[in-house]
Order: sequence, then C-alpha cells, then structure tokens
Amino acid sequence: MKAMLRRLWPDTVASRAILILIAALLGFHALGYWAWRVGADTLAASASDRALAARMLSISRAVAGVSGDAERSRVAHDLSDASLEAHWSRVGLTLDNGTDDERAGMMAARLREQAPGLGAEALRIGFAAAGTHNHGGGAVWRHMMLASLRLDDGSWVNFSISTLEPGSYEGWGAFAMMICVGVAIIGVAVLLLRWATWPLRELALAAERFSIDQAPQPLAETGPVEVRRAARAFNTMQERIQRLVTERMQAMAAVSHDLRTPITRLRLRAELLEDAATRRLVDADLGEMETMIDSTLAYLRGGKSDERMRPLDLAPVVETIVDEFQDQGRDVSLSGVGSAPVLGQAPSLKRAFSNLIGNALKYGDVARVSVAAAAGHFTVTVEDQGPGIPAEARQRVFEPFVRLEESRSRETGGSGLGLTIARAVIVAHGGEISLEDRPGGGLRVVVSIPKPGEEIRTG
Amino acid sequence: MQQPGRPARTGADEPGQDVAADHGLEGPGLDYGRVLIVDDDPEIRLLVARFLQRHGYQVAGAPDGVAMMAALAHGDADLVILDLMLPGRSGFDLCRDVRAASQIPIVMLTARGDEADRIRGLEGGADDYIAKPFSPRELLARVRAVLRRARAASGGRAADNAVVTFDGWVMDLRRRELFSPPGVLIDLSTGEFDLLAVFVEHANRVLSREALMQFAKTRTSDDPFDRTIDVQISRLRRKLGADASGGQLIKTVRGAGYMLAAEARRQHGEA
Repeated sequence: MKAMLRRLWPDTVASRAILILIAALLGFHALGYWAWRVGADTLAASASDRALAARMLSISRAVAGVSGDAERSRVAHDLSDASLEAHWSRVGLTLDNGTDDERAGMMAARLREQAPGLGAEALRIGFAAAGTHNHGGGAVWRHMMLASLRLDDGSWVNFSISTLEPGSYEGWGAFAMMICVGVAIIGVAVLLLRWATWPLRELALAAERFSIDQAPQPLAETGPVEVRRAARAFNTMQERIQRLVTERMQAMAAVSHDLRTPITRLRLRAELLEDAATRRLVDADLGEMETMIDSTLAYLRGGKSDERMRPLDLAPVVETIVDEFQDQGRDVSLSGVGSAPVLGQAPSLKRAFSNLIGNALKYGDVARVSVAAAAGHFTVTVEDQGPGIPAEARQRVFEPFVRLEESRSRETGGSGLGLTIARAVIVAHGGEISLEDRPGGGLRVVVSIPKPGEEIRTG
Repeated sequence: MQQPGRPARTGADEPGQDVAADHGLEGPGLDYGRVLIVDDDPEIRLLVARFLQRHGYQVAGAPDGVAMMAALAHGDADLVILDLMLPGRSGFDLCRDVRAASQIPIVMLTARGDEADRIRGLEGGADDYIAKPFSPRELLARVRAVLRRARAASGGRAADNAVVTFDGWVMDLRRRELFSPPGVLIDLSTGEFDLLAVFVEHANRVLSREALMQFAKTRTSDDPFDRTIDVQISRLRRKLGADASGGQLIKTVRGAGYMLAAEARRQHGEA
C-alpha cells in the first residue's frame, strides 16, 4: 500500500507542479462556482420576491375591488396559481412568526416598498408549521412562506408562497466547461513544464556523465534563473573537483618521480654489499618499490602511452611475463597459439598482462594462461584457483584503490591499481576484459584484443 | 686521468683504476674504457663510478652540461652516461650539442616508463637508454654493449651499427626491438635480447656454451633462479619460431655449442 502510494506520488518537478496547478485550479473553480451560485441565488430570490410582492398586492386590490364573500373567495382563487395561492377570509390566518427570518423580512420589505401605506398591523408574514406542507422544515430555508394582507374592511387575503426555492438550475454545462478548460490548461502546462525543466534534466545528465578521468564538459547555462544558477554552480564544482584531482595526481606523480633517485642510489649501494643473500633481499625490496611506483605512474597516465600503436605479437609478450614468473619459482603455465599479431603498445600490454597474471598468483597461487585465436580477435585467458570474486563485486574491483578484503590485501600487498590499469590499457587497445567463475573454483579473466583492422563484436 | 681544469666537485671524479680485466666476450682489455657520468646527484656519480671501476672502467663525473663539455673537450672519455634531468641545459639539448661535435657513444638515463623521453633521446642522437631506477648490472651490460658496437663501427657512430638484419628479421640494438619478417614486434626479455645480440654479432659462428654462459653470468651473476643458457636459448627459439621462418635460426652444434645460422647485415640509419 505504501509502495503504491509512493509510486503514485508525483516525483518529477513537472508532475509536482502539475499537481499544484490542478489543486489550485480546482480550488479556484470551486470557490468561483460557490460564489457565483450564492450571488445568483440572492439575485434570483430578490427578483422573484419583488414579482411575488407585486402579485400579492394586485391580488389584494382585486379582491378588495369586489364585494360579497363568495365573490371575493372566487377572485382570490382565480388569481392563484401553483406558486402563489390566495384565500380570502374574515380573519388573518397567518401567525406572524417569521419576522426574524431574513427571507421573510426581505419579503415584507418588498411588499412595503411597493405599497408604502401598508401598516404594521396589515401584514403578517410567517412560515408554515413543520410538517404541514410535506416540506420537512429546513430550519433556515423554509419552503412554504405564509403571508396575510389585511384589506381596508378588516378581512384578510392569505397567501401561501411555495416558489421560494430558487430555480434548480443544474450547472452541468458550466461544470463540463470548467473541466474542459482545466484539461486544456493542464495540457499546456505539461508541455511548458517539460520545456522549463529540460535544463534541469540536462544538469542531471551532466552530473551523471561527470568522471574524474575525463576533461570536464561545461554545462550550457540556459533556462530559468534558478537552473542557470544551478548549472553555473555545477560547472564551478566540476572545475574545482578536476583541479583538485589534477593537483593530487601531480603530487603523486612528483613523489613517484622523485623516489627514483633514492632507489637508484640504493640499487648501487646494494651492489657494493659483500653479502650476496642480503643483496638479493635488498634488490627484491627495491624491485617491489619500483613496481609500486610504476603502477602508480601507469594509473596516472590512465592506460595511455606515448608509444604509437604498431604491429606486435601478443604471444611473446605473454611468454616473457610467464617466463619471468616461472624464474621466480611460481606455478605458471602457458598454452595456446604461439603467434597473435595485433596492433598495440608493448610496454602497456606487458604491464596489463603482468598485473593479471600477478593477481592470479597472488590470490590463487597458480596461474593458467592461454592465448587463443577467435574470429576477429585474440583472447588471453588467465585462470587461478583462488577464492574468486563474487559477481556483485566484479564491477567494483576495476575501480582504483579497491581491494576486496583489507586483511587479505595487507598480506598480499599491492596498490589496488592492477585491474584498473589492466582495464584502461585493454580498453585503449579496443579490447574487452571480463571476470568469470572458473568451473571448479577460482577466477577466470578473459581479455579480448581485436585483430588488426577488426573490431570486437559484442553480442 | 684527473685533468686540470675539469670540474672535480665530488668524490665521484676519482680516477678509475684498472682494477680488473673485464671478462667480456671480446676478451680482456677490449671492453675496457673511460666513462663520463653526467648526473646532478653527487651520490649517484660516486656510486656509479665505484661500481664501474670495479668492473674495469675508468670513470669521471660531471654534475651538469658545462662540466660535461669541459671534460669532453679534453677528449678523455669513450662513452657518456647522460641523465636527462639536469639543472640548466636539459639532457636532450646536451645530447644534440655533443652530437654536433662528436660521435662519442651516449647512454641516456631516462625516467622509467616515460616513452616520450626515450624516443626524444634516441632521436636526439643517443645510442642507448636505460630507465631510472636502473639495476647496476643492467647499466654495465649497456655500457659494454654500446662500447662494443662503437668499436665495431671503427671510428663511426655506434648508432650507425644499431640496426641489424638476419634472414628477414630486423633487430634494432638501440631501441632494443626485434621485428619478425612481416614487421611484427616480437617481445624479448632483456636477457633474451642481449643473448640474441651476441648471436647476431657472431652470426654463422659457433659460440660455445661456456662463452655464452660467461656472458649470461655478467648479467645476472648471483640470481638464485638463474636459468641455464639452454633455457634462455629454448625460449628465444620459441619466440623466433612464432614466425614460421624463425624456428631453425639458432642451431645446436653438437659438442661445440650454438650458432645463428643466418647472414647478419648491419644497416645504416633508423629502422
């Protein structure tokens, strides 16, 4: 139920504005309709009261104009109709009980208006007792008004007025009109609002597109003033973030560059050590430091290299890496085709595959590498027998500095840049990289690099 | 060999003593030479000097371009190790300045991973490059290889001998790149490249395992995982065999060693 309400609840600026518009429109119309009804009622009531008063006076005069009881009764009867009944009688039949009623007072005023000589004693005005005329007596709006006018000779003409109810003019036509106008207004409003909120949607799109890896694209500062301000603020923010990131990256690059001189010195000093075992250990540590610096710098370059793309064989690149790991006593094996000519940058590809095979060994202890030719591309598959990567984390591990288990990464080291760099390099080569479960446990990394002149067909 | 007038600001400028004969392929005495190291870091000058002296070179140091030019004017260097990041005139400019006047071999020290620097340096006339931070043994191997090439050019530039072709394969010694006959770059490890360079320099000559091993030893002396020369050769064969024509290039000569069975030709200019 809550969910349904939430779905019905207008979510966009346009729909909220339309909701407000509809509410305002309905409110305005209801108020107008009510005011119009009341005004019309009052007008109609006063007009019909005036006419009734005139008729009552003329009936009285007509009755007074004849003599004889029977004759007077006949005249009164003849001049009656459905809305105004008149009876002549010797005594006034009306109890003067309605003088405090607004409508009765109005009627008395109309009668006195037209017959200024009408004395207070000569007019009685009131209402039929509840129940008498099948009108369940409304307290304020009683439908049967009674009035008695005294003739000069002391006899009375009694009137019962049943047309006090205002004509029931059913306002359906006006109502339909109102609905039509409302719908039209809403239709136009929807279009205008969509137009007015278009810059807002652009702003949202620009915010979604924003990426620290790319040069910021300034947003056009158009639309209503609030949106222009928002766009300007967004552009400023974008620039600031970019500047901040650039500064940090420059600082990182500067530190990495500056570390090269002390590392070079250490390498030379290590060479002077008499103890070969210590020298090897120092060399290994220095090698690790170099690797970290290299991967930091490679990450900062974002997979781009100054090398031009040229024909190179992927298989020997992978072979060199596998051989190197084998020389370090690691459990790595290579199978598949011996030649895989592609267009590429050797140093970048070496780094990418070195990261992938290194990861397999780090987390899975073994690495099974194979190079295969497929239609339009070559695939390099790296499998390990480690814990693998859960499906929901497979996108996240490509992000910089993301490591799945902090505790594990402390043991295994690494900067959290390996996969980031590998993906950047492979994408720069027009290729693809995907992570899968290896049947029987472990992770399988599949890299596709297009053959020269071909593109990878995703499907 | 301390020359009067040459700026001698650091201990690195101690003259090298001919401590040990260099055990290169071409025998003692031949690889021996005088090296000028140009780097603004006094410690690096000192350490490189000490290291190269231990391997039989005479080493002098210069902290910047002015000192380098002064040292070269005296003509007492066979090879220059030139850092690209120098105060005042940059290594690139200095490289061009030197080339305008002389053919002395230059090994550049570039920033690691900075391909643009490497390319600019090689185009500026350097004969080889080595990325900082470098391994001292790597530096030694490069110095030795460049001096050997320069001598093979008999007075000419080492760079003039930088491109060698054999059986359709192209080997660029300066850029350290190997191309298969269809022109596809074939990646080699540093060890494999240097091994192939030795074969190419001695094409159609049988090289004993001992000679090759001696060579390999100077590169990776006490590496516990050092593979025998046979492993290196089988890896090299596999990579050469990636192209059908290269499979039988390195022949085993029973009882004698290995041989590159191809005519090697030196090309002038760039690959």
